[in-house]
Amino acid sequence: MAEKLPPLTLSSLDKKRRKVSFNNRYGWFFISFCLILLALFMLYPIISSLIMSTFSSRGMISRYVGLGNYKRLLHDTVFLQALKNTLLFFIIQMPIMLFLALMIATLLNNKAIKFRGVFRTGIFLPAVTSLVTYATLFKMMFSLEGFVNRFLMTTHLISDPIPWLVDPFWARITVMIALTWRWTGYNMVFYLSGLQNIPDELYEAAKIDGANALQQLGRITVPLLKPIILFTAVTSTIGTLQLFDEPTSFASGGVTAATIGPGNSLLTMSVYIYNLCFKYMPNFGYAATVAYVIVILVAILAFVQFKLAGDRR
Amino acid sequence: MRRWLPLFLVLLLLLTILGTTVFAAEKSGKITIWAWDPNFNIPVMAEAKARYQKVHPKVEIEIVDMAKADVEQKLNTVLASGAREGLPDIVLIEDYNAQKYLQAYPGAFADLTKKINYKDFAEYKTELMTLKRKIYGVPFDSGVSALFYRKDILAEAGFKPSDLNNITWDRFIEIGKIVKEKTGVAMVGFDTADGGTMRIMMQSAGQWYFDAKGDPHIVKNDAIREAFLTYKKLVDSGITKTTSGWNEWVAAFNKGETATVLTGCWIIGSIKAEASQAGLWAVAPTPRLNLKTSVNYSNLGGSSWYITAKSRNRQVAEDFLNATFAADRDLYQKILVEQGAIGSYLPSQNGPAYTEADPFFDGQKVYADFAAWMREIPPVNYGLFTYEADSAMMTVMPDYLAGKINLETALKRAEDQLKNQIAF
Amino acid sequence: MKGKLYLLRVLQYAFLLSCFILAVFPFFWMVVGATNTAVDIIKGKISFGNQLIPNLNRLFSDYDVTGIFWNSCKISLLTVLGQLLFSSMAGYGFELFSSKTRERIYGVVLLTMMVPFAALMIPLFRLIVSFNLLDNHAGLILTSLVSVFLVFFFRQSFKSFPKEIIQAARVDGAGEFRIFCSIVVPAMKATYAAAAIYAFMTSWNSYMWPLIVLQSNEQKTMQLLISTLSSAYFPEYGVIMTAIIISTLPMICIFFSLQKHFIHGITGSLKQ
Repeated sequence: MAEKLPPLTLSSLDKKRRKVSFNNRYGWFFISFCLILLALFMLYPIISSLIMSTFSSRGMISRYVGLGNYKRLLHDTVFLQALKNTLLFFIIQMPIMLFLALMIATLLNNKAIKFRGVFRTGIFLPAVTSLVTYATLFKMMFSLEGFVNRFLMTTHLISDPIPWLVDPFWARITVMIALTWRWTGYNMVFYLSGLQNIPDELYEAAKIDGANALQQLGRITVPLLKPIILFTAVTSTIGTLQLFDEPTSFASGGVTAATIGPGNSLLTMSVYIYNLCFKYMPNFGYAATVAYVIVILVAILAFVQFKLAGDRR
Repeated sequence: MRRWLPLFLVLLLLLTILGTTVFAAEKSGKITIWAWDPNFNIPVMAEAKARYQKVHPKVEIEIVDMAKADVEQKLNTVLASGAREGLPDIVLIEDYNAQKYLQAYPGAFADLTKKINYKDFAEYKTELMTLKRKIYGVPFDSGVSALFYRKDILAEAGFKPSDLNNITWDRFIEIGKIVKEKTGVAMVGFDTADGGTMRIMMQSAGQWYFDAKGDPHIVKNDAIREAFLTYKKLVDSGITKTTSGWNEWVAAFNKGETATVLTGCWIIGSIKAEASQAGLWAVAPTPRLNLKTSVNYSNLGGSSWYITAKSRNRQVAEDFLNATFAADRDLYQKILVEQGAIGSYLPSQNGPAYTEADPFFDGQKVYADFAAWMREIPPVNYGLFTYEADSAMMTVMPDYLAGKINLETALKRAEDQLKNQIAF
Repeated sequence: MKGKLYLLRVLQYAFLLSCFILAVFPFFWMVVGATNTAVDIIKGKISFGNQLIPNLNRLFSDYDVTGIFWNSCKISLLTVLGQLLFSSMAGYGFELFSSKTRERIYGVVLLTMMVPFAALMIPLFRLIVSFNLLDNHAGLILTSLVSVFLVFFFRQSFKSFPKEIIQAARVDGAGEFRIFCSIVVPAMKATYAAAAIYAFMTSWNSYMWPLIVLQSNEQKTMQLLISTLSSAYFPEYGVIMTAIIISTLPMICIFFSLQKHFIHGITGSLKQ
């Protein structure tokens, strides 16, 4: 910075103070609109629902229970099942999806591959579809006599149809496939952009040293992409723990459906919140409690991911 | 001139009074209605609207068409927020939810005890909308249950229509085995996440998930025990065709892959949608459980119209429902023919459409049958927690059917889950 | 060695191609579905039919699709504009004029991303009612003028913006807001394009909140229309597919026209 020499120590202090006030004036100015909006439409509802979580309610009739709702969670078998289902998606589906996205991104970063733009667009496309679209399509494709089973049977990969949405185990697999289909391309784009920052020379040098593709991935790509992998991991964690769309639209058993998927195998925490508010006797206080369990879990998991990635913050 | 002024003013005043009284006789204002299903409730309501507006052209009626879950979500959000704004004047509510809304949101719905002649409606319907001797809402469609069957397939297996009349579930399974053996067609479609059949079985015995006090009544409930056993027999007998989700289930009978359909009468539209099967179908009463209390009549689904208490045009809304769904017999004929909607308004049921023979059912007077069965449905109080109970049942069902747990454990688990769910 | 490389290439293409087909196939099916009847679709037909015109006719005669489409466009465009402006300003403010207090606020802001929307719906609804914005598009737009994700995204992008340019402009006597508008914004075009795609995507596809705020038929959005259509006891799949295509088209158009910037924009934000 090209600053003139301060003539007096007093005025230099003054200048520093002026700089702070300058910084403050514009700092507050630029973020003020955002803060006002967030305070109104985020902070107020959050505080309001935190207060709500200390009440147990039946519609308009409610009763103060303090931390009673949190105690109730521990004995609530339905909640525990929802927790288990959600964590299953987190542990199994998320790593597979992120790994697949990374694979595709490395391939598409290779300048020797042709039609990269076409591949990129096609694979990203699922992320722009609306939920209703893809739920309808997938439900039809994965029905017992749907396209997938017929395809697998005509190619003799299986002899009996797979009970995709009928069996608790396969129902979860179906939702995992659908989730992967929809979000792999989205995460791929982030990796792809990150890869563009890694100079080709690094890979050239590695090749000369005799490193194979897997070693290149492990020694160059992953370490250098760490911030982006962390970013996608944290956003996917938020998405997975708030998973709502897929279970509800895949499991619907029509007007008389009783459970979310066979034996409640697709019930996630967000769906449970929804049911507590709108399907069952409305207990908004208890629903808010479940919501804050999600917040706590995301915060813990994100913290662990930051630690694992060795982030300084 | 000045002398005339008072006279002129008096005249003006008189004219105004006259004018307003004339206008008051003429109903006016706008009412909003929330409902679901663009192929069923919406056209029904549109028909009622058109008929009403012929007499009262000044009344504006807006029918807002939403998914069922969406109606429930909006209704709950607005009522819970305590806001006066944002509610419709009339809303369609499923019967299973009625008591829940009436009790969770006291004072939210208009008391119509003295406005509607409830004697004209099927008893079991009015029972569902009664709370502390006050009656809310105007009963609409009935979900009287029926056994729809393919005459041709059953004939191929050697069964006459009379063989299906007033049978038990055990007999139904026996017939199914023979049908499957001789024709290769599954007897009935079966959805693992669907609690509908359970509800039909329970109500046929006049039972529900709860006792008279509203406490969970599962482990010691004869009807539920019997229903569980029947479920297992059904699945073990191999006569079911497993489907997942509504569309597959509908597709199964449209494609002729099941010989029967057992559900509420509102399914008739979906059955008739496959025109190539015209003349092949027939209808019989619902099978009953192996219990003395169980009859061959039951119910699945059905909904009713409710007026919100804070409605700005409450009188117009009341007049509208009174003039249409509680009086207009012709309206019921029309919606029966066009939408297959079977109302629970009894005087409409000796109208021409109800007594007509239906060629799709090979000349059977199905609607007359439905109307007769409807009067025999055992009244049941659905209570506040039907969906919680449903979920508890179907959560344990897969393990029970697979033989991983016995009946006692299954019922105990379901009851425990339900008790926990409805804690306050 | 050459043969091995050749084999590798073939494998790579095969992998990419299968991913591509898997990703695009449902779109193909959607288009096929729009030309068939509901019964055909349920039965699993995957060849073109001749029902496109009847399906279109049915859709347009039963619903005011043009009006609904326009509603969606209006809401999304205004939301995108607002989000770009307010989120980028906030990101800029947090990055260039940082202080201890503001860093703490930033942490809190990021935390709000983790709260599920369902928990906030009722208080938010109360707020909208008290502002008298029920059944009003303004109620939707106002509540989504800021996206926390975008604040985060913009802040990351501004990290790589050369500060010297800003210094130079200051020396020239330009005001801070003018520097932001006439120097920073034009230089970060790619970032804005990426953010615009993201904002449009979320706004166009949003469903739960519009459902709660909007009340009358005239105010409905495309997603609400599709949900209504699919709710019937016997859904008209051909008509639904037609509606879905209409509602997906703008998304695809926007992505195609902005996709070059999209990748560059994200690249910018990920540099440290």
